[in-house]
Amino acid sequence: MSELPAFWARLFGGWGVDHPFVLMLLALALLPLFATAFRRRPVPALVLVPDDVTSRAVGWLLRAAGMLALAALVLGLAGLHRREQSIQRVGTGAHLVLLLDRSSSMDNSFAGRAPAGDQESKSTAARRLLGDFVARRPHDRIGVSAFSTSPMPVLPLTDHHDVVQAAIAAIDRPGLAFTDVGRGLALALAGFAGDTTDASRAVLLVSDGAALIDRRVQEALRDAAARTPVHLYWLFLRSRGSPGIFDVPPPGEDTPQANPERHLHLFLQSLGVPYRAFEATSPEAVAQAIADIDRQETRPIRYIERVPRRDLARMAFAIAAVAVGLLLLAKLAERDLASHAAAVRAQGGRAPVREAA
Amino acid sequence: MTGQDGDPGPALQPIPYRLRWRPEGIFPGAHPGRGEGTEGEFRRHVGLLRHPDPRRIDLRASLRDPFGELHVRQFAPRRAVPVVALVDLSGSMGFGGAVTGRVADLCAVVALSAMRSGDSFALFGADARLREEATIPLGRRRGIEAEVARVLRAVRPRGRGAAGLLEAAERLPARRALVFLVSDFLMPAEETERLLAALWRHDVIPVVVRDSAMEHDLPNWGFIEVGDLETGVSRLVFMHPGLQRRWRIAARERRAALDALFARRGLRAFELEDALDTDALARRLMEG
Repeated sequence: MSELPAFWARLFGGWGVDHPFVLMLLALALLPLFATAFRRRPVPALVLVPDDVTSRAVGWLLRAAGMLALAALVLGLAGLHRREQSIQRVGTGAHLVLLLDRSSSMDNSFAGRAPAGDQESKSTAARRLLGDFVARRPHDRIGVSAFSTSPMPVLPLTDHHDVVQAAIAAIDRPGLAFTDVGRGLALALAGFAGDTTDASRAVLLVSDGAALIDRRVQEALRDAAARTPVHLYWLFLRSRGSPGIFDVPPPGEDTPQANPERHLHLFLQSLGVPYRAFEATSPEAVAQAIADIDRQETRPIRYIERVPRRDLARMAFAIAAVAVGLLLLAKLAERDLASHAAAVRAQGGRAPVREAA
Repeated sequence: MTGQDGDPGPALQPIPYRLRWRPEGIFPGAHPGRGEGTEGEFRRHVGLLRHPDPRRIDLRASLRDPFGELHVRQFAPRRAVPVVALVDLSGSMGFGGAVTGRVADLCAVVALSAMRSGDSFALFGADARLREEATIPLGRRRGIEAEVARVLRAVRPRGRGAAGLLEAAERLPARRALVFLVSDFLMPAEETERLLAALWRHDVIPVVVRDSAMEHDLPNWGFIEVGDLETGVSRLVFMHPGLQRRWRIAARERRAALDALFARRGLRAFELEDALDTDALARRLMEG
């Protein structure tokens, strides 16, 4: 039962007119039912005129055209339009928080040096590839956070992808000093706090290194992860020579202090949420990792699409013009029944054909 | 064709007409009547003993007779016959100015011819009821044709149905008369039958008023909004060749049905289409 009003609202809710009082003229649209555009030609009796299906059909068509013309004119005068609307649609995508490392090491190339010549810095590569990634996923709601010495909320979850693109474009600005992944992650997870939809949620952590996570922060993260089920992706931009996150160092050296990246990896695995890490040592590897994430995050998602106000008066006038043109054609095709005979009689000076009583 | 206005006088030519039957009555006229008369149309010779009228002895015939019998000439008496025009004045008769035009012409010619032949003429106009203003009682005065034309040109056809014609039929003279029944006969066949049955006593010449605009001059294509002159109902007609063909077939069938209806009563219609053709009328009347 609740479907019907909703359907009704969807069908007629979005319509509007500028001058509602003009709509009273819509009663005029009934005129063609009672009046005709043609002159009445008297005949002795209608039984002399054979019944004709085509005539009936054409007659109703012209009547409908007349009604349509009047209705369209009135609607056009009243300024018919469709109001601005937000339509809920279903697409594939996710709610995504990009967590970007703004530490100064991101400004270096993958070789660990300042970029020279045609080399790309890690942040530039990340910017380019993330930009493409976001552009490929038009239905995602995306938030952006950054972290360095402290976490920086950049954008909450939003549909406005041009803002997201601008935020991504800003990540190759010269970075700051340190890398505080833990509080950054906490911020990213907090970004989902107000998100109650059933869309798939993901955090994409882009960083080129890690640091120790405070025990208290670890507890807070475990807490947040338990409350907010997210998919976690870590895109690790590994500089040449730095230890990988999957390498197991010799025993004794396996301490969080010596290998913070590996231990962050272990910590994220232990969070109990779906987690994947990508270790990228070049822009191509980054591209591949992002394509992988792109493939993973394709659950159905409800998203809101904004439709701007559409003015329909012009269309109404066009419809009226077509209908009136049809009527005009018919009027031009009007013939007199007794043109010849009447002409002969008129020459003979006879009484003219009288209209019906 | 007659003159333009109410005075058809000088242009109007009387036409002779002949009856296939012998009128009764006592008024002297131009038609060979029933019974025996003393002058007029020669009928036969009879013996003097059978018809003791020595003034009519035919000497030549008597001398030729080898038996020497005396022959007396017998004549049919000349009698006058009432001529009546029953005019349908229902709305449909207004189409194309039929009543004010060719019907008035026809009635004027008939009235003039009747007057010249010494017959009396009466006009009855009727729609759903008898129209007194379009009625002229039997008479044989001079100038009756002008009066007939004036009355019919002034009258406006209106109303539905021709039931008044039945009323008019009752007011006809009790003896056999020559009746011109002027109508478009668009009423139902039963009504026509009833009317003809009411006129059983008289010699009826149905004058069928038609208009070529409703049959021959139809356009091939186009829109026509047709309105019934009697009921006022209107309908949009989209003319196309198929409809035109069906229209003509329907008209032909209607005409054939009407002719068959007349033929069952031994009548033959006179078609009054577009303008009065006096020669055709004369031919039709001389054929009897």
